[in-house]
Amino acid sequence: MRRAITQRSLLWLASLVALVGAYTVVASLAQRPDVLPTTPEILQTFAALVVRGQPAPMDGMGDMHHMHHHHPGRSSDQVDTLVQQGVTLQDALGVSTLRVLFGLVVGLPLGMAIGVLLGWSRRTDDYLHPIYVLVRSVPPLALITYIMLWLGHSEAHRLIPIVYAVATTAVIPTYHSVRDVSARYLVAARSLGARGSLLVTKVLLPAASPAVLGGLRYAVAIAWMTAVGAEMLMAENGMGNLLVGGGMWSSRTQTRSDPAVIIAGVITLAAAGWAMDAGTRLLRARLTRWVR
Amino acid sequence: MASAPLLEAVEVGYTYPGENPTQALEGLNLVVRDGEFLALLGPVGCGKTTLLRMFAGFLRPTRGTVRCAGSVVDGPGWQKGYVLQEESIFPWMTVRENLEFGLLAKGVDPEARKAASDELIRLIGLSAFQASWPKELSAGMSKMVEVARVLATDPAVLLLDEPFGALDAQTRARMQDALARLWEQRRKTVMFVTHDAEEAIYLADRIVVLSERPGKVKAELAVEIARPRSVETRFSAPFLALKRQIWEATRGGEP
Amino acid sequence: MVAVRVRRAVVALVALVLLYGIAAQALHGRLPDRIWMGSHYVDNIQLLPTWGSLAEEGVFLAESDILASSVLVSTRRVLAGLLLGSLVGIAIGLATGRARRFDAIADPWVTFFRFTPALALLPLYVVWFGYGELSKILLIASSVAVITLLGAHHGVRAVPRVYLDAAASLGASPRLAFRRVVLPYALPHIFASIRVATGLAWVTIVVAELIDAKMPSLGYLLALSGAYPRVPTMLIALATVGALVLAFDLIVLFVHARATRWMRRTS
Repeated sequence: MRRAITQRSLLWLASLVALVGAYTVVASLAQRPDVLPTTPEILQTFAALVVRGQPAPMDGMGDMHHMHHHHPGRSSDQVDTLVQQGVTLQDALGVSTLRVLFGLVVGLPLGMAIGVLLGWSRRTDDYLHPIYVLVRSVPPLALITYIMLWLGHSEAHRLIPIVYAVATTAVIPTYHSVRDVSARYLVAARSLGARGSLLVTKVLLPAASPAVLGGLRYAVAIAWMTAVGAEMLMAENGMGNLLVGGGMWSSRTQTRSDPAVIIAGVITLAAAGWAMDAGTRLLRARLTRWVR
Repeated sequence: MASAPLLEAVEVGYTYPGENPTQALEGLNLVVRDGEFLALLGPVGCGKTTLLRMFAGFLRPTRGTVRCAGSVVDGPGWQKGYVLQEESIFPWMTVRENLEFGLLAKGVDPEARKAASDELIRLIGLSAFQASWPKELSAGMSKMVEVARVLATDPAVLLLDEPFGALDAQTRARMQDALARLWEQRRKTVMFVTHDAEEAIYLADRIVVLSERPGKVKAELAVEIARPRSVETRFSAPFLALKRQIWEATRGGEP
Repeated sequence: MVAVRVRRAVVALVALVLLYGIAAQALHGRLPDRIWMGSHYVDNIQLLPTWGSLAEEGVFLAESDILASSVLVSTRRVLAGLLLGSLVGIAIGLATGRARRFDAIADPWVTFFRFTPALALLPLYVVWFGYGELSKILLIASSVAVITLLGAHHGVRAVPRVYLDAAASLGASPRLAFRRVVLPYALPHIFASIRVATGLAWVTIVVAELIDAKMPSLGYLLALSGAYPRVPTMLIALATVGALVLAFDLIVLFVHARATRWMRRTS
């Protein structure tokens, strides 16, 4: 058994090395830095984006100096724009992570609440479920265009789709739990005199939590997807914004896309996603210690 | 020593709604007196769980009335301590938290709750498991926790639905003993549903035999065996006589 | 019983329609009708258009063929991406589920794609394949492939040993056992992942079309109606997307049910 595991780890590592190696070879052979940046170029881009650039001082004529002489690593249109604005990779990642966390913290309880409401009685279920199905069919990021009309370019306008997307992942597991699994716990609890909020907080929600936590990894993935999408469309900060070239959407087309920046950004996102997923697995293990 | 009737079913009928309505109970009359241990015996599907659920307040009779402590039953509550057939111990709470749940619902303060749960833990002999998760308990132990849990709120009646049905014969015998001991300590009014005649005789003061669906009372027998009862009781003459009586009562009647 | 449920659903939907109509009329004069779009504002916007104006707009969109062609274009892209992605994903997923060595080799690649939000790859695909059909279809295909890969992988791994042992003891070759035992058992997992992938495909295409807004497409319709702004069109476009998502979902469910008709119902 152990030999099999180490054999697999070796294969995994070998595969990874082979991938990176193959890319390096192909990229340096292709000589097309605008399409296939070489591995050293990618690494230099990382370096450029991690050091915070100083916003350029205004000189007497009101011009902005270009900073590309003064920061390490690579230089390109996109890199320069980002550095000029004082954006760093870690800043962007931090902002995106905060948005994702907000979406999770607000969206999960909201989704569970809706699930409880739907699953509570057959009557409410019959009336409200069809409406819920209609509402959740509209992708959250599509709604962002409509929300913008109400709220303008504000943080709330960006966060609402994330919360909405996360909430929808929690509704169905909670709903099934309340409807099918939890009947006997509810009967027992009511025969012990529990009612109202005690019933919900101490019986329904804990009973539903394994199902919701089971879907937590998916909820996290959805939250990242929606956050990055919202940032690509309508934000001045965050990873999504970095990927489309920094600056507001309207000025996006003025900056030429640098694939090295995009690859660096994508790798960072993948790493962040993996890290959060690992954290989610740990959290789930801790919170469901009592499950058989 | 006729004490007050605590549970009463008067001409109770119940029909399951739906496309093919089935009549579970018909014209059923039943009385359980204060401090009495009544066993409700009957074949599978004869409506005993339905009757118990009506007393517990989860079903309303389609005909007749069901009363507890004099007033018509109008929904579940802690006065009617109901233990389901399925496992219903809360797996996300420790044994102690389970036991204290009813008191928490009543608004009892933490020290009083702890004192009560201490006593119950001692009573069911699970001191070693007081901080355990239910997943660490055996099926029999879980059931005893469920019974002790409803005792905590000091209800007027205990309604037990085949609590030991899922257990193997040896564990069942042990649990029956534990329940008997428990009941001797805290004499509650109990309605105990089972399909096992021996279990009924061992535990009860009186046995009511229900017919097949639609269920109605087929026979009533008084169990005049002294307490405390033991393993020996199961082989005694009065015990076997009752067994025979029940056997005959269930065999005779409807073809 | 079913009749009751249908009746209640209809009542709920009718109630919703009426409530919206009332809200739109009541708030007609009350809601702010000036919206700031960046540095300028636009007057006379009805944030909650009445059913009347929605109907008018709907007729206009239908007659001018705008909606229909947008739907066609977007649907085509989603279907192409779904087909490509699920074929690739299921094939690889079955392989990784079956052979641990292949799984170890493919894993770094799979993990990378799995944790990268699909939309993040759009700028990269645009650099490589330009703006246009290919980058969009590939974007959908890559996210669909990852999801169906995982579905197929878990489906294969989830087959109880009992069935495999039974097949082996009956003399079935590994290939036969795979085709007749493993594959059918993995089908529900695969369909479940297809369902998830379909939802994600629509999210992806709408955003991709919003970013690269070109006529005709549903994303473009949304972007345009947001830029003007023209609220009735936007709401109709949103509703159309929702209807398409729902339709696709129901189709997948239907195919799933037909394909696994023979399976014992566990609920």
